[in-house]
Amino acid sequence: MTTVINANVSSQKSWFKWVRDNLFSSVAGTIQTFAFAALVVVVLRWLLGVAFAEKNDWTAVATNMRLLVSYNYPLSQFIRIWVAAGVLLVCAAASLGAWRFDPALTVKRMARTFYSVAVVAALCALLMPSSAPGVLVRTLWLVSTVLAIAGFAASAVASKRNNLTVSFGALLTSSVVGLLAILWFVPFGNYGVVGGSPFANPGDTVARSTKEPWTVIFTLVLFTFWASRALGTKTVAIVRSALLAFWLVGPAFLIFVVLRDPAFDWQRVWAVDVPLAAGFAFGGGLLVYLLAKPTRSSLARLVGVALSAFAILNWVAGFFGWYGMLQKVRISMLLLAILVLILPAFAGSQSKRLRIAVAWGGFILVLHWLITAINTPSTLVISAPPFLGGFTLTFAISYYVVLASFPLGVLLALARTSDLPLFRMMSTAYIEVFRGVPLITILFLFTVMLPLFLPRGMAVSDLAAVFAGYSIFSAAYLAENVRGGLQSVRQGQYEAANALGLTVFQRTLLIVLPQGLRVSIPNLVGQGIATLKETSLIAIIGGFDLLRIANSTIPNQPQFLGQKRPGLLFIAMVYFILAYTMSKSSQRLERRLDAGRM
Amino acid sequence: MHQRPPIWRNVAVLKWLAQFAVLFTVLGLFWLLASEAQENLQRRGIPAGYNWLSGPANFQLGEGIQTVDSPERRLTMSRALWVGMVNTLRVAAIGIVLSTILGVFIGVSRLSKNFIANRFASAFVETMRNIPLLVQILFWFVILGSLAPLAADSGPIPGWLIVSQKGISIPRVFLADGFYQFVAMLVVFAVPLWFIRRTLKRRQDDLGGNQRVTSTTVAYLSVSTLVAWFLNPVMGFLGGVLDSVATAWNAIPAQIIRGLFGVLIIWFAGARIRSLLNSRRTPVGFAKLTDNDWFQMLFTAFAAGVAALVVVRFRPGITTWFVESVGNFWSFLGAKFGDGRGAQPIDAMLPTLTEGRFINISNTGLTMSVFFASLLFGLVFYTSSYIAEVVRGGILAVPRGQSEAALALGFTRGQMLRKVVLPQAFRVIMPPLGNQYLNITKNTSLGIAVGFSEIVQVGQTVYNKNSQTLAVFSIYIAFFLLCSLSISAVVNTINRRLAIVER
Amino acid sequence: MSSTKPNDNTGQSPRRNMITCRGVKKWFGDFQALKGVDLDVGEQEVVVVLGPSGSGKSTLIRCINRLEVHQEGIIEVDGVELTNDLRNIEKIRSEVGMVFQLFNLFPHLSVLDNITLGPIWVRKKARVEAEKTAMELLERVGIPEQAAKFPGQLSGGQQQRVAIARALAMEPKIMLFDEPTSALDPEMIAEVLDVMRDLARRGMTMVIVTHEMGFAREVADRLVFMESGEIVEVGTTEQFFSAPREERTKKFLSQIL
Repeated sequence: MTTVINANVSSQKSWFKWVRDNLFSSVAGTIQTFAFAALVVVVLRWLLGVAFAEKNDWTAVATNMRLLVSYNYPLSQFIRIWVAAGVLLVCAAASLGAWRFDPALTVKRMARTFYSVAVVAALCALLMPSSAPGVLVRTLWLVSTVLAIAGFAASAVASKRNNLTVSFGALLTSSVVGLLAILWFVPFGNYGVVGGSPFANPGDTVARSTKEPWTVIFTLVLFTFWASRALGTKTVAIVRSALLAFWLVGPAFLIFVVLRDPAFDWQRVWAVDVPLAAGFAFGGGLLVYLLAKPTRSSLARLVGVALSAFAILNWVAGFFGWYGMLQKVRISMLLLAILVLILPAFAGSQSKRLRIAVAWGGFILVLHWLITAINTPSTLVISAPPFLGGFTLTFAISYYVVLASFPLGVLLALARTSDLPLFRMMSTAYIEVFRGVPLITILFLFTVMLPLFLPRGMAVSDLAAVFAGYSIFSAAYLAENVRGGLQSVRQGQYEAANALGLTVFQRTLLIVLPQGLRVSIPNLVGQGIATLKETSLIAIIGGFDLLRIANSTIPNQPQFLGQKRPGLLFIAMVYFILAYTMSKSSQRLERRLDAGRM
Repeated sequence: MHQRPPIWRNVAVLKWLAQFAVLFTVLGLFWLLASEAQENLQRRGIPAGYNWLSGPANFQLGEGIQTVDSPERRLTMSRALWVGMVNTLRVAAIGIVLSTILGVFIGVSRLSKNFIANRFASAFVETMRNIPLLVQILFWFVILGSLAPLAADSGPIPGWLIVSQKGISIPRVFLADGFYQFVAMLVVFAVPLWFIRRTLKRRQDDLGGNQRVTSTTVAYLSVSTLVAWFLNPVMGFLGGVLDSVATAWNAIPAQIIRGLFGVLIIWFAGARIRSLLNSRRTPVGFAKLTDNDWFQMLFTAFAAGVAALVVVRFRPGITTWFVESVGNFWSFLGAKFGDGRGAQPIDAMLPTLTEGRFINISNTGLTMSVFFASLLFGLVFYTSSYIAEVVRGGILAVPRGQSEAALALGFTRGQMLRKVVLPQAFRVIMPPLGNQYLNITKNTSLGIAVGFSEIVQVGQTVYNKNSQTLAVFSIYIAFFLLCSLSISAVVNTINRRLAIVER
Repeated sequence: MSSTKPNDNTGQSPRRNMITCRGVKKWFGDFQALKGVDLDVGEQEVVVVLGPSGSGKSTLIRCINRLEVHQEGIIEVDGVELTNDLRNIEKIRSEVGMVFQLFNLFPHLSVLDNITLGPIWVRKKARVEAEKTAMELLERVGIPEQAAKFPGQLSGGQQQRVAIARALAMEPKIMLFDEPTSALDPEMIAEVLDVMRDLARRGMTMVIVTHEMGFAREVADRLVFMESGEIVEVGTTEQFFSAPREERTKKFLSQIL
């Protein structure tokens, strides 16, 4: 009993000391405290006034949630979006589990977080304008009180056992359960559009069509997280490589799931596509298998050069229209040529050759499936011409831009750090030009000019042009980030690799890139955040991304005429949550990398 | 016994071959695309070249230095683009100043020991930089759009400051007729100042004590400014001088300049080759040149030859353009001095409202339209969060011992920051800060979203009118590259200065 | 062939020549690092190169591995001349093992992966076989228990032993050592020297740049003294330490011993 009292006394003392040291340490400090407190009050009051002014109609956001998520996607097919989102989240959870993501969260820290949120909620409740709905103010007070009690309890526990931590799994489980409870029991109100006419049931909980999918997804998320955590060392390696493969190509499949249900012309598929795919897969695989023998490396180089000459000729011929050829044959031929060219670096034993051949075969089958699917009309009829929009578009564009700019950026970075002057010059010119001009001009350039540059009869959609332009632009920035990492690789590493007799290609792939990329991970995450934020520029080009919907689509609806503020504030919050989480986790990663540095 | 490897296996040769192969592939690709574009343009009946620049604009600009057709001056396409560039630079310049001030304030606050101060600064930084700039600009546009409508007594200080839906207007300070004469006179006065300062400084070094270098300079400068303010019409004769310089320049035949250019290029290449050869010279004798050296020399010579041929033979227009623009520059300056007019170099006007059916802000004051203001606010708040982080990083990069030493010497916290930490942090801060300035300049292009007439928006209007996309995009690229080059030149110069000061 | 021709300056070597240098010159910009070096190293011979810092010792052995490119003269390794020939460079590098002053282990790979990298990617061996050899080598340098660790977790002496094992895994005909003990704490030098002594005993052809005089005296067949880019004196260990011919050698030995 006495110890508890002592702890309380000391904590009260330290609390008092903290206030004195941090807020009123000197006259200047006291003035500073009051000045900043006034600033906080003014800014918060103004912001709340802007958000909850009388004329703001927040049901504009609630009613149009479906637009914000995926624009005009047909309701009957919405299950596709749920599946895509579900697979992404489940794989994310599986990755967290498989990579043993377990940041130790101390109870002390949790208590501090509870207190801060409680204080902020109370401040907001105090400063809320009179036009704000009373239920909101009451909820804020409630949240504040509950969190303050929780914080007090947590700090009481922490004062007894100082280094008590909560595992990430427990945190995840409790937050998921809490979220589900809120979803099912808190009366947010049920808003939406049915058959073109909006409805509003303010007292209800959210719509069943929202609750049920989320419940299923969250349950699966929890399940996969714990399941992947429980995996043994042997299986976890396999699961990890499967997940890596998913993060590389999975989203491409998901986009297909969302966007189209290709109506294959099976006769043509069996007559043309399947033989072609099989031919490239088996023929190419056989070629690769035969040439990957260490003794045949000069032959492989010769064949590689011949193949590349032929492949390039195919493209030139296609450009000038000398002879026709299916695009996928051109693409596969070029890829095969590149593979054969770099094959000597991978040459090796029988099993290794077999593995390369099988990998090639699998890759080509997937690629052909994708290309055929793209070129087949979709059965999914989507009402408005901009088939996709909202958050789905924002997410998809930023994901693919990062994915596509990565190889190009790495190549540019390698060229810029190489000792070959012409490569260096070319890469520098590319990087400096693209970093010197604003993204919006590049996006305009690609949407307006790409049709000019293409030969007659070829056309690209606006979105594809935006994607291409954005990736090319982004690669210049990525190259600079990667260059920083590459420069941190010490000269001795190059020398050691040379002394072993590694070729330049092997040296780059096995020694330089793994070390350089590792160092540049935090910067790359930063660039990912920038990419996500800048997808909002698509709104200017005419894409229906989050911003466009909040800023023009919703305010143009007759029942919500001119309601821009709620939408803008809402998407600002969405962007903020995404970017903030990413940047925080990147900082954590940076700290971990720093700690693990040799 | 010494064998040279066959050419196809010689690494030095192969390296250069590979480079040239890629270079020519890239150039070839460019050529292909360009010819395709040209063909497409021709098919659509869009003339190549930049002749359309001098044509009439047929549209009006929202705001800028001169936006409407007037009898004496028609708005041409080039003028419109120029107005756009000036608008861009204006927002960028104001944005750079404001966001630096705000950013430094926030960055320093974030390091403050005061709990509320550093929490507020952190919240500011995290909020501002995690919300896309475009969202912020549109947010400000909505907020400013809901300000009170314009009325005779708009604004907190009627007659001095107008704040309304139509814009924000403050008193305008502008360069009046006598400004150029004024500056010329100050330059004339500066020459003796230089001598005076040198003498005083020498005396200071020799005799010690206080020879009042600074106070003399200040006194001299204030007297000469006062004199120049009133007597500047005297300098009007410069107009005639500059005009004759222009005439003399224009009298030089373009062939001579062209030849000079050619010689200059060849001389430059020669100098590079010589410096390479010099670096291989040793006291003992000449070092053996590697294959790489030979290739470098050949490449330099080849590039110089091509450049010289292009300037002298294939594109004589480049020189002609250069000669003309330099001549125009002299005449332009001459016209500024003109006939000895001049009076007050600088003048000011208060903002007023136009009377009429619709009340409007007249252009007597310095008016910031809602478009301008929302772009500026967005840029300043967004960028200052990044600048705050740059400043914070720079200050944290100064070793702890430095500030401890300063405190031990009895400096106050403020003095320590000003005199010890900030000067050192400045060197770390400068390069990323320059990067942020560059970002502001590029991000002004988002003004297009709120309809502000900056260069990208004007350019878009232009190519929507006449389909000259290729030309307009080349102007975009040239303009922004020029901006980024000048900003990085300034930053590099400052960096070099700081580095020398340190030594 | 020139490689079998006896040479007065370098001292005659009864064995087949593994390394032949004739008039090797090397400039860094306008600084001449090697001023015409002649040297022969016979099969199974251990040659120790001595000299003050900046005398061109390291440059010489780096030229033998073509980490630096010599500009004049001839270097032959095992009868193959070092030229810009695409075919020769990698071949020679894979036959010449090199141990660096700062170990230069690959920090992102485990000890085992460091050692098997060359055999798998350059020698095209099967992984199982390469790992078996690697474990044998680790056994030989005395740290088999560290196979799964990363270089950052090892002490300097252990790292250098791994580096030696990595070079040996390529089954080189020649080993070059560039001041292998200079970056080590005194108590770790012995363990590295033990490994090198063992190598010499097994008949490896070695060229060693070192400041460890006792070690040099013990293992070297011949000693080479270099100063400012030139070979000043070459001699057998006995003759070199007891009766140096050149004034500069005497001065150097008096300073260092």
